Amino acid sequence: MKEKRYVMGNTAIARGALEAGVRVVAGYPGTPATEIVDECLGVPGVHVEWANNEKVAFELCTGASLCNVRAMPVMKHNGTNYVTDFLMHVNFTGIRAGLVLISADDPGGLSSQNEEDTRILVHQYAHLPIFDPCSPTEAKAMIKEAFDLSEKTELVFCLRPVTRVCHARGIIEFDDLPKDLPPAHYEPDRDRFIMSAVELPQFGGLKRPQIRHRWLNEKQPLLQKIMEESPYNWIEKGEGKIGLVGCGMGYTWTKEAEHFMDTRLPLLKLGTLPLPRKKILDFVKGLDKLIIFEETEPFVENLIKMIFQEEKIGIEVLGRSGFLPSDGELNVQVILDAVQKAAPSVNISRPEAPSLDVHIPIRTRTQCVGCNYRGILNALKQTVRKHKGIVAGDIGCHDAGSFRPLELQSTIYCMGSSIPMASGMVLSGVNRPVFTFIGDSTFYHNGILGLINAANNKINVNVILGENTVTAMTGFQPHPGTGVTLAGEKTNPVNVPKLAESMGVSYRVVNPYDIKQCREALEAAVKEEGPSLIVSSMPCYLLSTRQGKKVFEPREVKVNADRCNGCMICINDFGCPAISIDKAAKKISIDPMICVGCGLCVDVCQRGAIA
Amino acid sequence: MKMDVVISGVGGQGNIFASLVISQYAMNKKLNVLGAETIGAAQRGGAVVSHIRISDGEIYSPLVSRGQADLLIGMEYVEMLRHMRLLNPKGMYLLNAMKIPTVLNNMALDEYPSTEEILRAIKKYGPKGYVIEASALAKKLGNIQMTNVVMLGALTKAMSFFDYNEMKWLVSANSPTRFKEANVMGFEEGYKLIN
Repeated sequence: MKEKRYVMGNTAIARGALEAGVRVVAGYPGTPATEIVDECLGVPGVHVEWANNEKVAFELCTGASLCNVRAMPVMKHNGTNYVTDFLMHVNFTGIRAGLVLISADDPGGLSSQNEEDTRILVHQYAHLPIFDPCSPTEAKAMIKEAFDLSEKTELVFCLRPVTRVCHARGIIEFDDLPKDLPPAHYEPDRDRFIMSAVELPQFGGLKRPQIRHRWLNEKQPLLQKIMEESPYNWIEKGEGKIGLVGCGMGYTWTKEAEHFMDTRLPLLKLGTLPLPRKKILDFVKGLDKLIIFEETEPFVENLIKMIFQEEKIGIEVLGRSGFLPSDGELNVQVILDAVQKAAPSVNISRPEAPSLDVHIPIRTRTQCVGCNYRGILNALKQTVRKHKGIVAGDIGCHDAGSFRPLELQSTIYCMGSSIPMASGMVLSGVNRPVFTFIGDSTFYHNGILGLINAANNKINVNVILGENTVTAMTGFQPHPGTGVTLAGEKTNPVNVPKLAESMGVSYRVVNPYDIKQCREALEAAVKEEGPSLIVSSMPCYLLSTRQGKKVFEPREVKVNADRCNGCMICINDFGCPAISIDKAAKKISIDPMICVGCGLCVDVCQRGAIA
Repeated sequence: MKMDVVISGVGGQGNIFASLVISQYAMNKKLNVLGAETIGAAQRGGAVVSHIRISDGEIYSPLVSRGQADLLIGMEYVEMLRHMRLLNPKGMYLLNAMKIPTVLNNMALDEYPSTEEILRAIKKYGPKGYVIEASALAKKLGNIQMTNVVMLGALTKAMSFFDYNEMKWLVSANSPTRFKEANVMGFEEGYKLIN
């Protein structure tokens, strides 16, 4: 009997890949895709690693595929953006052993800096096929098939799970893992794998990029045929002339919404790109109107409109391009609203849920209690205030320093953008000191390129590297500065001071639990011409605690109420969740249930009211 | 039958552990289970909510829809309020009497509602339920991180759906070796919180 386990969608995807015989898995951590890589670990003969960025992961996996070994690069949508350059070449060359790209989208930006739909990038732009799963169970089936089809078509296949698939949990069947996989072997094929503007006499002197483009275009009818017969697209019969189309999670929300409707409308479930054209034409026979539910852009909607135009079909198509909200996640309420509007004859019985007559405070993110970032951020806050500085931020735990109370970083975009943006601010002639705050994982991702550029062009930027030696925000994945691989093997951590020396960048290593030392280093960096690097070096508190290591000696911290005048510096410039103010009494208090005794606040208070 | 459960709390309170125990309990009863969790990007201090959907029929959405939850477990006052509207007004709640102020509350820029206001709002909404001192008891037993197992004990007493021995076994089976004994004790003490 097959074993059944209650697991996350990400675990289901990892298991599917392992059952399909994947041998090389590489990714860069990013919610909601992170656990897919972790869950592949531990099978003999399967190499699983955290690469320093997604492009490296994708290129590495392609190398493995060309040696006839199945491979899987794993990333969230931002990573897919980052690999676009490579994607726009590997789509032309094709691959050998199955290569399935996991590009996880995060509708609603639940854990992301932006919201986007990578189906457009992978399918419309790179002309590659996609599976869009509606559940963890389907995601597992899809990835197994994607490996086979990738090999059969010689194309990269993409699985695009959204957060509600990745982080859903369900009962999943575990099949056996394959045994005796064929060994890797490599044969050169320069006509395919050398992407260069070479003239090809056999094609009348046309250049290779055009011919490879043609090759990719000629694959499309085969993909069409495969998707026409795919088990991931189907029709569910219903009453009336209004049809619903559910793509991926859009199908799942629609099925849930059916519970609250008295009429079963015809429903088309779609899970593939290219679309099954014949199935769509079959479905719409006799219908007047279609409502398309998809995450997140009106992509399938536009493709269906195109098919209708070619077929001269006059059915009204409603969806994300104005009829439904054009941004954010779908849910049952959105679907019921849409059905109510488009099909007033359907009776909808919504469950009662009166609104609440009480104020509910929002809970913004902050650093953990005891986090070393709070020390360096406090020192930076003081320095920035004194010198009217500007701080460009980056992705990572420190980003919470941009929210209230600190409101320190004034920009946050994407991985590694802080140092180049700060450089541009300096070069604008704004005549204020410019700082950047970047974590070490982001630094190795591609942030280092910005520093090399600043060094090479002698740009007077002050870079603070938060070296907590791990990718903390996504759950402690190792990176090139950690000194250990995902599989637990020891490696040589990058030596940042030596790196800085080689670039000719002045550097200062500080302990972020020593605010005075941090301030002095920042002060010196401001006075210095040219790029300066401050390495705020201390392992992540939360991870260290879990590993039974101490990054500080915990102490009992008390407020001396006689000395506290309610100035709120410890709140506004520091923001530890354990400290609160009683406005009426003008006194702060420290909650012993929350405080972990890092003692940083003792140095933050200028009046000696905390000891 | 169907039972939709929502557990809401703050990162670090052991929300996911509690949701796994409940899900495995249902799975062992040969019921269908689907779930989902929403965790902020930060490891600690952010809001965390788990959805568990249990049924003897087919389930589609991993999330509980508005007004559909049969049980709402609040590990913190305002986090329970935040998800109150997922609860069927005729459903049941189990609330840990614990307030974790937000950053803006600490700065006195936002107000944390008083216990009276909160309880009044819950009463007006309509569900039956219990407010229990789970965190206080966990702290007394030696570790506030046992709040979740104390609450699972109380839940087992409060709802006949749950079997005492089976739940206790699952708490133990899911606990790391060094916490097994303490977690089982927390579960037993939590069971006694409800009369």
